Amino acid sequence: MLNKTSLMTYAVLTILAFVYLLPFWSVLTTALKSDMEVRMTIPIVPPSNPTMMPLLKAFELMKQGLVNSLLFTSFATLFSSLIGSVNGFILSKVKFKYSNVVFLALSVGIFIPYHAVIIPLITVTSKAGVYNSILGMTIVHTTYGIPICTLFFKNFFDELPESILNAARIDGASDFTIYRRIALPLSWPAFIITGVFQFTSIWNDFLFGVVLTKGSNQPASVVLANLLGTTAAEWNVQMAGTFIYALPVVAVYLLLGKYLIRGYLTGAIKG
Amino acid sequence: MEALLNEIIFLPIIHKVPPGRNMSSYGSIPLTIILMVSLVTAFFFIYGLIGWNVLLSFTKSMGLITSYELAGSIQYMKAGSDPVFQISLKNNLMLIMLFIPGSIGLGLLLAVLLDIAGSKGETLYRTIYLLPFSLSFVITASMWAWMYNYSYGVVNTLLTALLGRAFQINWLGDPNIALYSVILALIWQFSGYTALVFLAGIKSIPESQINAARIDGASAFQLYTKIVIPQLKPWILSAFVVLMVFALKAFDFIYVLTNGGPGVSTYVLALLMFRRAFFETDFPYGAALATILFTMVISVVVPYLLLSSRGREK
Repeated sequence: MLNKTSLMTYAVLTILAFVYLLPFWSVLTTALKSDMEVRMTIPIVPPSNPTMMPLLKAFELMKQGLVNSLLFTSFATLFSSLIGSVNGFILSKVKFKYSNVVFLALSVGIFIPYHAVIIPLITVTSKAGVYNSILGMTIVHTTYGIPICTLFFKNFFDELPESILNAARIDGASDFTIYRRIALPLSWPAFIITGVFQFTSIWNDFLFGVVLTKGSNQPASVVLANLLGTTAAEWNVQMAGTFIYALPVVAVYLLLGKYLIRGYLTGAIKG
Repeated sequence: MEALLNEIIFLPIIHKVPPGRNMSSYGSIPLTIILMVSLVTAFFFIYGLIGWNVLLSFTKSMGLITSYELAGSIQYMKAGSDPVFQISLKNNLMLIMLFIPGSIGLGLLLAVLLDIAGSKGETLYRTIYLLPFSLSFVITASMWAWMYNYSYGVVNTLLTALLGRAFQINWLGDPNIALYSVILALIWQFSGYTALVFLAGIKSIPESQINAARIDGASAFQLYTKIVIPQLKPWILSAFVVLMVFALKAFDFIYVLTNGGPGVSTYVLALLMFRRAFFETDFPYGAALATILFTMVISVVVPYLLLSSRGREK
């Protein structure tokens, strides 16, 4: 039953929701308007004569960038999750001397500003022959993903009761067997949490892309940022590009949001 | 499995360790190899490259990227005499003073409202408020470039329509206003995140405490200000650290939205580092600025990590 307090609460929440959604709405309306209509109408008014032209034009401009982003994002998400799963298992369930210190030292890696490594990273990737390549982007994102992925899996395995593993231990199973037969199959929720977190973070990245790639190897984030710099007058194309680049993350957010929220609550950091 | 999922939420960062036994006697070679190789690689990319960057900051360039000569602290002296460095530091400080309290304040308000609304409305509204946080800074910067557009942007045209008279502020073009426009948009992007953290904090308060206060005749206002919010301290600290680290290393959003302009009015440290290193190819100076940035971030993060790892041992 709604009393006065909750009615007012809902009113405020609804007004705020409109404010929060306003930028999204204006992206959508503008992306569907012709150049002429962008200039003639205000952005919050829906298009009177919706056109697909801006979306097609933006897609054409961003095609290569989207393919690049999709490739290194998928591979780096997969690799960093798998590595994190093994590391998290060992640091939680096997342990060794100083494993807590190792874990703490690794955790610092979650927070470091990538500006502090980006200049040497150019030299490292160049020397390794992977500068300006999808492979290079995959390696860099996988490596810098290891700390957060290890953290996600360590948390998960910390909560897994020892008793589940003990029966296997008594039977003399090796840690590898226990990992493969018991821990790995049980850890699917951790894989989803880590996977959606990594996919969205890597897809959203800008710094590595803008420094470590050029021309046709640039990720979608950099292509879109360049678009804003060069076609500022064509707001409909710019907003169409914004819409297209945001789409995969919005889809993940709407479908798997509750897993993404678990990742955010782990105290992880953006940027 | 849902129960397991719920259990792995934890905040602050590291809160407990199970009694786990030392199992190294059962050590398995494939797992050890993966662990060793990945740790060596990660530590090289993290600590090795940070060390390399620090070294670079004590050199001067010989014109080529690969040849440097030790030159003491001249790059740090350069920062001291670079007027844009001071502006950048001041702007980072402005982010700390306005963006952090703004995001925490609005986040608290949203969390309390969501809590009052209860389970029905909570999911839908929380999903809406958190949406901006899930997106790339390139996306949100692009959106706000259009929102703030002088002639056609939503902010000016909507305010004009609402007020019934011409209302035009040059949100991104006026050097006295641009930084505030940036901060406002960032609060929009982060407040859903702080609300999410605080809401999780509110949910962790035992029901019995709330009921006891209700029985004692506490009003809703008293309930939140006297009982709920004081207990959110660890959650506020955790959000504070996240926001602080962001306020120090903010880059992509500002790079895309204003690129430091108009003039140099919205420069921040990370943007200055990027410009000096990659536009003016002054790598040693860029490395010095990156080292300063790193030192600032680490002096926030390490105490927090130590604090929360000590907390879990108690």
